[in-house]
Amino acid sequence: MSRSLPIHEIWVYLSGSPLLALILTLTAYQIGFFLYIRSNRHPLANPVAIAVLIVAFSLELLDMPYAKYFEGAQFVHFLLGTATVSLAVPIYRGLRELRGRMGPLLLALVSGGLVSIASAVGIARSLGADHAIVGAMVSKSVTAPIAMGVAERLGYSPTLTAVFAVITGILGAVLARFVLDALGVKDWWQRGFAIGVAAHGIGTSRAFSIHPEAGTYASLAMGLHGILGAVAIPLLAGYIPFF
Amino acid sequence: MIPGLVQILLWQGAGELASHFLLPTIPGPVLGLVFLLAFLVVRGRVPDNLALVSDAFSQHLGLLFVPAATGVILFLPQLREHAWAVILALLGSVLLTVAVTALVLKGLNRKATHE
Repeated sequence: MSRSLPIHEIWVYLSGSPLLALILTLTAYQIGFFLYIRSNRHPLANPVAIAVLIVAFSLELLDMPYAKYFEGAQFVHFLLGTATVSLAVPIYRGLRELRGRMGPLLLALVSGGLVSIASAVGIARSLGADHAIVGAMVSKSVTAPIAMGVAERLGYSPTLTAVFAVITGILGAVLARFVLDALGVKDWWQRGFAIGVAAHGIGTSRAFSIHPEAGTYASLAMGLHGILGAVAIPLLAGYIPFF
Repeated sequence: MIPGLVQILLWQGAGELASHFLLPTIPGPVLGLVFLLAFLVVRGRVPDNLALVSDAFSQHLGLLFVPAATGVILFLPQLREHAWAVILALLGSVLLTVAVTALVLKGLNRKATHE
């Protein structure tokens, strides 16, 4: 008893403070990021997906309710807004590099953005998915921090949106090249931009690891899609038929 | 690093205020992003301390959505029930988006070089 008491006290103290949730979140991400680097930045070893699996499994093991975990982890979550603002820097760098191609890029972005919403919502709805799932499909092709903000404003689940966004990014990063090869799209800037529109940050990392020009254009596509999505999706939302 | 962080927090604050009073449909951080972008365009370059903070954030952006994404455990029964709809919607959407975006670029580029 005298030996188990201190451990028990430490446990009570830790689980009552934000520290445990923060340690869990950061350690899980650290492990995810380590595996991602070890796999040579393979999109399937996505650090967020790995971290979510580790945290979810740990919560199950510790018998800790999600709401209690989030109470502590909200300090990490809060920085999402700040990180969103700082996306202005990569967007600015991208804009500076390509003044001449703005017209075609914007047209491609708008077409791609509309197709991403229409196809995701259309397929999910026709296969009988419920309102929460269909709603979370709307902004999933936009980079996750912005997508979550947009979903929240529209009354959809930021959690499902984040999960769909991460899965979309992974699928895009893995599969985009087969689509692009099949369509005979060879220019790096076109390939990169298409990946960035469809698969935001995860696709962009993939594009950078394949070719710097593809990466620059993917990053620009992700940034512009983020801004366009945040402005246009709330306006469009009134016109998307749900049920 | 601190001056850069202060700047970003101030732009975020300005964005939150604008979102609250003027444009309630657009999230505050996105308006902050637009303001900062406009500031950079006017300024003509990225200040070093700002670049430092921004690069740190963008390198590990994923960490910041781990807490929210972990909430997926609350949706597992719902997702299991609609698993096929979710998988096919995500898969179909990403393939079509890549294809359409790339084809528009390719088409416009061919037209531009022919003219």
